[in-house]
Amino acid sequence: MVFLAKTKSPDEWKAVTSAISTLVDEATFEATKEGVSFRGMDPSHVALIDIHWPNSAFQTYDCDATIKFGVRVDEFSKLVRRADKKDAMEVTVGNDSMLHIKISNSYRKEYKMRLIEGSSSSTPLPKLNFNSKVVLTASAFDKILSDVQVVSEYISIESKHKQVQFLGKGDSGEADIIIESGSEGLEELDVQEESKGTYSLDYLSKITKAVSTAGGSVAAEYSTKMPLRLEFRVANIGRIHFYLAPRVQD
Amino acid sequence: MNFSLIVDTFEQMEQTSSRLALTDYLVSLLKRTPSDIIDKVIYLIQGKVCPDFEGIELGLAEKMAIRALAQSAGVDVPIIEEIYRKTGDLGDAAKEVAKLKNQTTLFDDKMTVERVYSTLDKIARTLGPGSQEAKLRLVSSLLNNATPRESRYIMKFVMGTLRLGIADYSVMDALALAFTEDKSNRNTLENAYNVSSDLGAIAKLLSTTGLESVKSLQITLFKPIRPMLAERASISEEALGKMGRKAAAEYKLDGERIQVHKNKEKVELFSRRLEKITDHYPDVAEAIKSIRVDEAILEAEVVAINTNTDEFLPFQELMHRRRKYGIKLAVENYPVVMNFFDVLYIDGDNKTSLTYIHRRKILEKIIKGSHNEKLRLVPQTIVEKSEQIDKFMASAIENGCEGLMIKQLTSTYRAGSRASAWLKLKREYRSDIADTLDLVITGALYGRGRRVGRYGALLLGAYDSKSDIFRSTCKVGTGFTDQLLEELYNNLENHLITHRHARVDTGMEMDVWFEPKIVIEIIASEITLSPSHTAAMNSIRLGYGLALRFPKFTGKIRYDKKPEDATDIEELVSLYKKQMRTITGGR
Repeated sequence: MVFLAKTKSPDEWKAVTSAISTLVDEATFEATKEGVSFRGMDPSHVALIDIHWPNSAFQTYDCDATIKFGVRVDEFSKLVRRADKKDAMEVTVGNDSMLHIKISNSYRKEYKMRLIEGSSSSTPLPKLNFNSKVVLTASAFDKILSDVQVVSEYISIESKHKQVQFLGKGDSGEADIIIESGSEGLEELDVQEESKGTYSLDYLSKITKAVSTAGGSVAAEYSTKMPLRLEFRVANIGRIHFYLAPRVQD
Repeated sequence: MNFSLIVDTFEQMEQTSSRLALTDYLVSLLKRTPSDIIDKVIYLIQGKVCPDFEGIELGLAEKMAIRALAQSAGVDVPIIEEIYRKTGDLGDAAKEVAKLKNQTTLFDDKMTVERVYSTLDKIARTLGPGSQEAKLRLVSSLLNNATPRESRYIMKFVMGTLRLGIADYSVMDALALAFTEDKSNRNTLENAYNVSSDLGAIAKLLSTTGLESVKSLQITLFKPIRPMLAERASISEEALGKMGRKAAAEYKLDGERIQVHKNKEKVELFSRRLEKITDHYPDVAEAIKSIRVDEAILEAEVVAINTNTDEFLPFQELMHRRRKYGIKLAVENYPVVMNFFDVLYIDGDNKTSLTYIHRRKILEKIIKGSHNEKLRLVPQTIVEKSEQIDKFMASAIENGCEGLMIKQLTSTYRAGSRASAWLKLKREYRSDIADTLDLVITGALYGRGRRVGRYGALLLGAYDSKSDIFRSTCKVGTGFTDQLLEELYNNLENHLITHRHARVDTGMEMDVWFEPKIVIEIIASEITLSPSHTAAMNSIRLGYGLALRFPKFTGKIRYDKKPEDATDIEELVSLYKKQMRTITGGR
């Protein structure tokens, strides 16, 4: 056995696989002594996902060397979804180049999935400084995105000292949402410099819907006309960062 | 290698019309190309991803390419279609659209030739269900990172509309200059090209191991040899004179020229343009297996045939074989036979340096020995007098051929060259329709390429005086000078209407419609039955109208004629019947 990771429920794997599936068809995970990580960009290099899942978050974790394993995300995701909420899940990579997924609760089932050749190149992270930070509950953030998406394909986020404004504009009309301290769902607002950035809603709502089922909160950090970073704070997964390049909107 | 290097060179090449300058630009590009990707660069220069004989196409529908553009630029499809209409080329449209792009990327990745090529290659190799969507994603992944100038060429590659005006010979000139500093070495490259048909492979060989290894390139099975071509002769006396008074005459069948490669049970068929067409003729490939030699490269004309009468059918029948799906049914409905006329290679031996007479002898032995009725020899005879040629010609025409091939008995097979050792003698131009027709313009399709902003093809109708309706009989797109096109365009503008005119009847879909007002003069080779044109519908055969074959505008706009003075349907029918008599009368 090269790698073994056991969780009490399949929720984390569900969140991870559905997040990754919004960007790529094939994913290469890296497992080390410290934990499991994934980093990848969509083919158009507009968005990037950076996940680190520390060994402490698992019920059992065993990995004696650094290994990489590649999967077809939709296939993997399909199997993970066969587990119920209370099922314990054990993922292992054996010497047979197969991924084994053992699901146990009422009865035991085991899936074996063929691994694919992983990519050897590593994705760098963009170097960014953030001037604004907004932390919202995942459900509030998801709701705001849906509110704007009714009229627009993009969302502009404009932060001032005491408030943050979400704006959208389309052929049918405009949306304008103001969140200020005290608004429901706002957990933190930290503005070092007033900032305004515009981002594709298609990317944002897909990733948010994929991860926010796991609950928690979302920290959005950005600077004017610079990429946005979303940090999904989900219990039991160390880090899910989502980077998104801005749109230039007149 | 930066893709911008290719873009810079191509832009310079597009702006020059001097062949020498074109070669110079190519030389400097090739000199800066790393040898591990020189084959890829050569394919890109030719606007493809691999030599034609590999039978790989990018195969992205125009609609999908527009959607890819829309996705990567974040611009709506109708806006792109509008720009496309104005520019007439999707590459030019891509350049304009890329300027509107409002989605940035996380990293400022440089576009490399390797990335462009490998993505195009992936697009070409993506097949099966869902492949169009996958191709779309690949195209837009490239466009996302491309500058407007790069987008233009990427789209031209994808759509196959790169037209640099580079002949294979210019590429060979450039290769010779870039790697040997001596243009005369082009001959060596050309010889290698004639037996392998793969300029990319030759470029790689040349740049890595030098000219000597190119010289030793041999005929290889499943790499097609460039075909020997014929010159034209107009009368039998002239043909015989050029041959030295004695020659072989062969039927010139109205079919498709095919180069057969066989290695035991493996068979591939290549078209005259050296594209792999084995899939069109699975029955032929199967039949070839009955040839009793292990390795062979042979040439033949495949012809559709009426199995009841053993008559040759016209070339058009073969078009039914050009399909991706339902080929099994097409094989049943449109049977063919192979008519062999040359042998180039047998069991490790190059036969091209043998004389015609010698090759024909070998061919006869092989084909007769196969005892397969689908494999035949092209009818041939030895002629010494022009009367013999004329007689053989008459029987060829009678049997549905286009004419004759006259071949020198002592000639060798010269791959890739148009030599006077072979002459094609066609029957004098078909006079099935002796007269010109006057037809009315009723609709048009927009022009592409050079004809942007004008009309590409005009829909023409004959007059049905009984019901006072103009019924379509052809689309015409040839015979127009720029000036005539302009004049017609301006005239037609006055008669533009938004939908088909009530007095116009056709099964064709057009971009624009006109009031039936303007009459033009058309010449055509013959009249054929047509399911889409409605002139004389049902009067010859149920469900078929009459259409003109090879219509051509004579250049005369008949301002003196009213639309009601146009050729009448009755006239068309009687012309068709006259033509029928001519053909059957000849038997």
